[in-house]
Amino acid sequence: MAVNRANEDYLLPCGRDVEQVWQRLDEIEAGRADAHELDCPYCRATRESLTVLRDLARELVAETEGPSLDLTGRIMAAVRAEVRRHDLLPLPTPEPGGVRVSARTVAAVLRFAADGVHGVRARHCRVSTTDTDDLAMTVEMSVAVSYRGFALHALDDVRARVAAAAEAQIGVRLKRLDLILDDLYDA
Amino acid sequence: MPLERTVAYAWLELVSSMTTPIEVDAGLPVGDVVVLDDATLVARAREGDVRAYEQLVRRYQGPMYRLAVRMLASVGDAEDVVQEVFLTAWRQLVRLHEDAAFVGWLYRTTTNRCLNVIRARKPRADVELDQHESSGSAGRPERAVETSAQLAALVSALDQLTGEQRACWLLREVHGRSYDEIADTIGTTSTAVRGRIARARAQLAEVMAPWR
Repeated sequence: MAVNRANEDYLLPCGRDVEQVWQRLDEIEAGRADAHELDCPYCRATRESLTVLRDLARELVAETEGPSLDLTGRIMAAVRAEVRRHDLLPLPTPEPGGVRVSARTVAAVLRFAADGVHGVRARHCRVSTTDTDDLAMTVEMSVAVSYRGFALHALDDVRARVAAAAEAQIGVRLKRLDLILDDLYDA
Repeated sequence: MPLERTVAYAWLELVSSMTTPIEVDAGLPVGDVVVLDDATLVARAREGDVRAYEQLVRRYQGPMYRLAVRMLASVGDAEDVVQEVFLTAWRQLVRLHEDAAFVGWLYRTTTNRCLNVIRARKPRADVELDQHESSGSAGRPERAVETSAQLAALVSALDQLTGEQRACWLLREVHGRSYDEIADTIGTTSTAVRGRIARARAQLAEVMAPWR
């Protein structure tokens, strides 16, 4: 590695710089020190300091200390306070007043249905009602599939499960499902 | 109304025009243990899935906190930064175009928030060092004292670096981020990042000399 301006401040009296010593640390530990490195007291002292530093850095890497236990709760409370409730879909009801469900909630139910198929994970899911029929919905869903466990019929299973969940769990007919396979995941 | 639908409604977020809306987490039933990949969680969170976002928070609050606590040497400031970072992330998810880029985005935002906190601080004398015992030496009581004294020395040596040098060294040596990513975070070139890390390493090694 070329000596750049940053390292010139850290030249050792022997002419090598700290960064050079650092770059060679593994080589020397593997027993491939050159003649200078075997004899030079400056290089040896620097090497020893760098080794202490490297070991401490490894301790920092291994640290598991986390924030106080209620931090997740505080973050999520703030997040929930900002959740916007829009895109409401009507649900069938014989009662006056009407019942509506958020598209976000319907999407969560449909994603869960799709996740039930082995090797499939639902990602994007947009739900909307059709222009002509309030009690039928169109859904656009993207899925990622496991590249080890993927089989083409899995998408047919997704289609069947999503349609079944729409009717049985939400009570709205699935008029159209646009399914997009847009990613693979490693599992 | 059919019974099965009534049951399903119980865990849906219902909004009736006759009642006050109640917030219920939409998502998977309790007991789900599938560990989902980041991209899936980000895609879901972007569309308002709070439970998916909570999994991301639980997955990454630890590393972001550890970065912030070493940057700021203060537990309270570090928690404030982490909280802000995750709230900002939630608000800006729609603008994150690549789902897999989430972690890089978190590191970038956490680093920059920490640098802002440091810039806003009064001169160094006011900064209280908040040193942590190492958890890495558990079970090695003989080394425990020395190790924590070494760590204490490292922590106070870190505090002598500039904020940007400290960020570069921590991101590279402790969090394993790439030079390009760090350069992007700090707003410089990867050559400059290498230079800063080299300088930081030399300064830190000097402080470690008594322990060799």
